[in-house]
Order: sequence, then structure tokens, then C-alpha cells
Amino acid sequence: MEETVLLVDDEEDIREVLRFFLSEIGYSVLTAASGKKALEIVCSDHPPVVLCDIKMPEMNGIELLRKIKSESPDTEVIMITGHGDMALAVQCLQLDATDFITKPIEENVLEFALKRATERYDMRFRLREYTEKLEQLVEEKSRQLIDAERMAAIGETVAGLSHSIKNIAGGLKGGLFVLEKGLELDNREYLQQGWQLVRRNVDNIRNLSMDLLNYGKVGAAHFRRVDPNLPIREVFRLMTPRAEEQKIRLEMTLDQGLAPIVLDPDGIERCLLNLVTNALDACADYESQDGAHVVHIQSNKRATAGVVYRVLDTGPGIDDGVREQLFQNFFSTKGMRGTGIGLMMTRKIVELHGGDIRIESETGKGSCFIVRLPAEPPSMPSNSSPTP
Amino acid sequence: MNPKTILIVEDELDMRIFLKTAMETSGYLPVLARNGDEGFQKARDILPDLILLDVMMPGEGGVTMYRQLKTDDGLRDIPVVMLSAVEEETYNHYIKMLNIQTKGPIPPPNAYVEKPPDPDVLLNVIRDLLA
Repeated sequence: MEETVLLVDDEEDIREVLRFFLSEIGYSVLTAASGKKALEIVCSDHPPVVLCDIKMPEMNGIELLRKIKSESPDTEVIMITGHGDMALAVQCLQLDATDFITKPIEENVLEFALKRATERYDMRFRLREYTEKLEQLVEEKSRQLIDAERMAAIGETVAGLSHSIKNIAGGLKGGLFVLEKGLELDNREYLQQGWQLVRRNVDNIRNLSMDLLNYGKVGAAHFRRVDPNLPIREVFRLMTPRAEEQKIRLEMTLDQGLAPIVLDPDGIERCLLNLVTNALDACADYESQDGAHVVHIQSNKRATAGVVYRVLDTGPGIDDGVREQLFQNFFSTKGMRGTGIGLMMTRKIVELHGGDIRIESETGKGSCFIVRLPAEPPSMPSNSSPTP
Repeated sequence: MNPKTILIVEDELDMRIFLKTAMETSGYLPVLARNGDEGFQKARDILPDLILLDVMMPGEGGVTMYRQLKTDDGLRDIPVVMLSAVEEETYNHYIKMLNIQTKGPIPPPNAYVEKPPDPDVLLNVIRDLLA
């Protein structure tokens, strides 16, 4: 393909000589007699290379160079300077001219400078093309990767779920076995134990299906501006009878000076309910040295705007290995009682609010779950579809 | 003839009740332990004819107890039936990795039964091992 050069010089005979020479060595030539005309052509024809005399009336070469570089930074500009005018030549290079050649013009020097300029232009053009293609490729591959990860997550979910169900089915089968033996041998103890086993596992399957139902609701959050103490009060009210039943003291400390924040009250209530249920379960399974167990829930102002909820218990605490797995899908420390969905869902809801959840715990000294929420979720989600 | 003694080491209550009933009603004498420490202590005290061991108890209790059993001169010959929620293949791989890290490799269990165990399968395994 023929490369185009824009030739800018105010002297007509120089234009003619150079045009003749440039055509001869294979360039297609545009000419301009002034800086103003040259700028028009740069904007309309986008020649890759401009060859420009530095001494021109009205707009001189330096000024034109500056304007070309601001209008069309990719254009390669070669300046023609007077002999021995080193200061001007350096100034041209500082203004990002590709090259300069001095008068009187030597043909092979001009040819070489033009070749270098067009090559640079082509190279840059190709580089940009590659970069764009690469970006496209990266984007495409990333999308495929995300799809694959999503599929893997679904696979994991199904595997975890079938594990939970298998456990419950096992418990039911065990219960039925013990019941049958009770009937067969007319043994009241077996009958009672088998019956309780079946009942516990029926509870388990109900919990699992409730948890799954709730998990499905996570995506459909309804955000509104409320008192952050609203969900915590509700949880306290709901859980007090159960705590009394388990002989655990449930306490609540509220920061009364909290400004209303934007949250999904049902979602946050579910989170706190999960955490309090876990705290009660942890205490119930653990014989404390100094007698009575306490579960304490509290709200505090966050250093930045927002709220910090804390759920503290006097249970056995959580060791490091378990802590790492705690928020993973279907991880449970509750043996056959746990579904492994509670904390996974809790984290998901908190993250939907743009908040975070962490644990402070020491083996033997209880645990503290800390949920921090900002004053507003990052971008108000449109509640369109629940994420898988 | 005295009934054969079976030590059941299992942390989950439901599973303990089921295993105890299954053993009792099949003519064995079950002894229960809730964790590895208790299990190892009882194994020494009563020298059971067979041990049912849940390998996935919290804190690696099952594997540690198994290692203790297999390195104890008085207990190493007692057959052990491993109970676990993971597949046998996964468990074997786990043991292989564990053996790389430690000096003395531990032998595989006499039998491996996936949880939740089917009572008939489990009782057949036990019957064979005690025959």
C-alpha cells in the first residue's frame, strides 16, 4: 500500500521539488502551503506522516507541530530545520517530533527519515491492534472462566447438599432400625431412643429445607432506612424463650445513639438469628467451668458511618483450623444437626450489604462474631434475581 | 460363652445409639466412647474383641487413636472397623499423604465402612472379622 505524506512548506518551488521526489520514491503526497491548511488536512485525511518546514509565516513549524500532536498524537512529524540550528532541532524532538532533517535536504537522509517514520506509525498501529485483540481475548477467557467457576460452585453446592441429605437419611434409617428392634424385642428403651432419633432427623430435614428456602431469598433483599437496633431487638425477643429453655442467659446491650441506616431488616434479622442460634448451640454442648452460660448481643456505632453488631458466647471457642472453614458452603461443626448453610447465608447477606463478618475466638474462652455494616449498601441492588 | 466385646468410638449421639442397638441386638456387648482419648483408655482397660472407630471425629481424634492402637503392642492385633463419611478411596489417599509425613507408616484398617452404615453390611463385616 502507498503511504501518504503531508508536505508543509510556504515556498512553492520547494513543495514542487519535494513532491516530485517523494512521488518518485513511492509516496502519495498531499501538500499544504500554510500551517492552517496543514491542520485541516491532518484532521480530514489523517496522513500517517507530516513533513514540515520550521520557518513559515503566520503559524510556524513549531506551533504546527504542537497542534498536530495535540489533535492527532499518533501522526509522525518530521521537521525541516535550517542548517546548524541545533537549539530548534532539540526543541522539535522535545515536542515529540519523530525526526528532523537539515537544509539543504539530502535525498537519502530524507528517504531514511520517512521510512523510519512510516515504520514507526505502522508498528504503533499494529501494536494497538494486538493490544485490543488481547484485551478482547482476555475478556472472553475471563467470561469463560467465570462461567466454569459458577458451574463448579453449583457442583459443590449439589455435592454438599447431597451429603447433608445422605446424613439425614442415615439418621432416619438408624432410627427406624432401633425402632424396629424395639418392636421386635418389645423393648421400651429401644422404642424411645429410636423414636427420638427419628424425630431429631425429621427436625433436621425440616431445618435443611427451611435454610434452603431462606438461602433462596438472599438475593431478594428489600433495603430501607431503619433503626439498626430494630433487627437486634426482634432477635432478642424471638430467642429469649429458647435461651431460657436451655438455661442460658441472653443479654442485650444497645447503642441508643445510632443513626438510621439502609439495610434489609429481614436479611439482617436472619443473620443475627443464625449467629445467636449458633451461640446457644455452642453453649448448650459445652460444660463451662464457672457455671452459667451467657450469650450477649450488642450494637455499636461504627468508626465510619454504620453499625457494628456483636454476638458473644461463653461456649468452647473455635480453633484456627475450623475458623478457616467456617464460612464455606455446607461446613458444619454440629455433626448431624447442622446443615452448614447458616453461616454461608449469613456471610452472603452481610456482603450484599457491603459489610463484613469476622470471628474473634480463643479455644476455651468463647467466641465473638462481629458483623459490620456501612450506612448504605455500595450500590442499591435492584433485587432482580437471586444469585446462584 | 461370653459375648464378644465391641468398643464403639463415635462422637455423634445418634450414631452411638444406632450402633449400640445394632451390636446389642446381634449378641455383642457394646462399650461406648465419645472421643479418641476416651476410646484409647477404654481399649486398654477392657481389651475389646473389635473396635468400631469413627475416623472423622473433631480434631483428628480418629486417626490419632488409630495410630496409638497400631503402635501399642497389646492392642495392635485388635481388628478395627473404620467408619467414615468420606469415600474409602479418599480416605486411603489421606492416609497415604499422612504416612509420607511420619516415620512409621500405619497399616490399613481391617475394614472400612462408609457412613451412614447399613446395619446388615456392618454386621456382616463384623461377623467375618470375629469368625
